[in-house]
Amino acid sequence: MKILIVDDAEYIVKAFKDMLELYGFEVENARDGEKALAKYKKLNPNLVIMDILMPKLDGISATKKILEYDPEAKIIIVTAVSKFGLEEECINVGAKAFIRKPFKIKELLSIIEKTLGDQVGK
Amino acid sequence: MIKLGNSKLIREYHEDIIESIPSTIIITDNNLKIQYANKNFYLKSRKREIEVMGERLEKVFPASHSMMNKLKENIKNVIKNGIPFTDGHMWYHGKFYFYKIRPLKEADGSRSIIKAMLLMEDVTELTRLEEKLRDSYTKLENAFAELKESSDIKSEFLTTVSHELRTPLTVINTYLELFENAKLGELNEAQQEKLKILRTQTSNMMEIVDDILDTSRLETKKFKLNRYPVKLENIAKRVIEELSKLAELKEHTLTLKIHSNLPNIIGDGERIRQVFNNLLSNAIRYTPNKGKIEIEIKNEDDHILTIVSDTGVGIPKHEIKKIFEKFYIGGGQSLSREAGRLGLGLSITKGVIEAHGGKIWVESTPGKGSRFYFTIPKVENKNVEDS
Repeated sequence: MKILIVDDAEYIVKAFKDMLELYGFEVENARDGEKALAKYKKLNPNLVIMDILMPKLDGISATKKILEYDPEAKIIIVTAVSKFGLEEECINVGAKAFIRKPFKIKELLSIIEKTLGDQVGK
Repeated sequence: MIKLGNSKLIREYHEDIIESIPSTIIITDNNLKIQYANKNFYLKSRKREIEVMGERLEKVFPASHSMMNKLKENIKNVIKNGIPFTDGHMWYHGKFYFYKIRPLKEADGSRSIIKAMLLMEDVTELTRLEEKLRDSYTKLENAFAELKESSDIKSEFLTTVSHELRTPLTVINTYLELFENAKLGELNEAQQEKLKILRTQTSNMMEIVDDILDTSRLETKKFKLNRYPVKLENIAKRVIEELSKLAELKEHTLTLKIHSNLPNIIGDGERIRQVFNNLLSNAIRYTPNKGKIEIEIKNEDDHILTIVSDTGVGIPKHEIKKIFEKFYIGGGQSLSREAGRLGLGLSITKGVIEAHGGKIWVESTPGKGSRFYFTIPKVENKNVEDS
């Protein structure tokens, strides 16, 4: 299972990578919204985990771009932003799920599991 | 009986009446020669009748050139058109006047107009007071704007701080969880124990960060609720399940009593979950082991009543008023330091309930227990049963 992490914070990326690799996923990352689409095309991951606040291109716009390229893309939005209605906005844009930072590993894993369907092996 | 408006009476006393009016009255002909001036005019101008009668207006009334021209023009128009002029204002000798000009019809039966009455009202004081009022109002508006700005800055600051803390907290929490789950190597008992402490402390921090954000939003009233049909009993069940481990640790009995046929309410499910979570976790925390905690939900006339009761330490009478305030932490210093909490839970809970249009209150007996009540108004129309 390949996961693409899109986030500009170095240590968040590292934490995600360390954690998800220990749970059996293959992890690549893109550092901003613009690079996200290019990486997506190159990797064709099973899942994208997307941050919202990023320089150059924000997460919501990047999500739209990826979905334009691949309407089947599975994107989970992860963010520290706590604006009401944000969750709705993300789902409306086409993200499959939404989770707020900070989260418990268990929460993230269960959302990943749900999003990927029964494709996830434990 | 003397009838008011009796014209004979007016005629008898008209001179007295006119002379008593505090306004200035001048009557001119169409050449602007003064035919009459009232007592007030003489008082104010300190001129004598002999200097005034028959003289042209501008001779007796040294107003500024432009002012006088305007006045003369207005008087001439009134005499010519027979239509009163009511919106005049002018400065004269350092005082400010409103004035009116009325056409006067001749009593000779011809009903032609060849005279006009100029009525002037000294509004200097009034104008001065009005300006003072306007000044104060502007000052007040400015002060308010400044206050709002500093409050906005404060909230923005809190939001930014809270937001900035989330990223490092995520990183820290993730690695701690990995350690705890033995994903980074097996741990001995001592290591496990310390890691658990690290993780629960981090968890506390995460809650505090959330609380700060909530409170600062409550303050700025950006506290918007999502509104959709919600089943209170489902939320209660979920929260009970989430907190069951905590309750088990203290060997509490946790029961949910629902009266049948609870209609849906319209509200923010996530926020209401927060309310149940806050009340229930308080109940668990403040009740000594082997206690009884009950959540009861009742359908009443225009609202749904929820009661969270416990057999806990209770709240002393003098503290009851304060418990919904920000930063209030019950149980004395020792309990609060242990929990590492901010004491914002109940104030947020109150904010949420009131934002839903409901009420929250508590009854308590120290040593016996507490009962927290809250209501959420029902909607007019009955809702469809959800799945």
